[in-house]
Amino acid sequence: MKMSKGKKLLGFASLLALTVLLLVAVDSLPKRGLPDAPAHQVINAAGNPGAGAYFIRSAYEDAATPNMVTVVLGDYRSFDTLGEVVVVFAAAIACYLILRRREDEEK
Amino acid sequence: MPEWLEYVHDRYAYWAIVFLMIIGLYGMLFKNNLHKKVVGMIIFQNSMILLFVTAAFKWDATVPVRDAEIDVNVVGNYLNPLPHTLMLTAIVVGVAIVGVAFALLIKIYDNYGTIEEDELLEKLQSPAPEDDDSEDSFPSKGGSV
Repeated sequence: MKMSKGKKLLGFASLLALTVLLLVAVDSLPKRGLPDAPAHQVINAAGNPGAGAYFIRSAYEDAATPNMVTVVLGDYRSFDTLGEVVVVFAAAIACYLILRRREDEEK
Repeated sequence: MPEWLEYVHDRYAYWAIVFLMIIGLYGMLFKNNLHKKVVGMIIFQNSMILLFVTAAFKWDATVPVRDAEIDVNVVGNYLNPLPHTLMLTAIVVGVAIVGVAFALLIKIYDNYGTIEEDELLEKLQSPAPEDDDSEDSFPSKGGSV
């Protein structure tokens, strides 16, 4: 069953509509590389310290590691990294369960 | 710089990411071969990774590794480390997903002898001969682990 012509046309139309929608949405994003974009603010709109700026300033004081990405990955968000390890482990188990030869398949 | 060129200059990276996203979606929706669908998914994932890395970018900033000669208290001196970290996680999760997807493809090929979607649907819809060894036209590869 190849995709019917109507279905294909509908798909292309929706992809085109999504493209236009996303290009319009890009227009209201902060300009690329602007140092005071919301993501880089020291104090964010809610009056709390912004995460990115906080990590840049205190990563070395808190963890004595020069690489800020390492500090965020291994210290500030180490539970996130633990979860990531669980995901990779689950994927490995899933691969094993999918690919193993079952007893009743043996010929 | 003329005004229109400045407009393009501030946004062309996002436009490229939008088109990458659409290419990935096109691959997932329209391609008949399941392997090509997976390739579309990988392109989509990578477009999202590029989006976050672009959001972390600042003009006149250096990589987020502390340099004693560059003041860390001036936040504009360093790129935002948070999106980089999140994308590091996303890449690892993406690789895990792709691994499971390819494992499923191997199993599908072993059982049906094809990864073309239309042939696969035909084989699924025609009544499968249960416990009929003579119909074994595509022997299981075995030992694929």
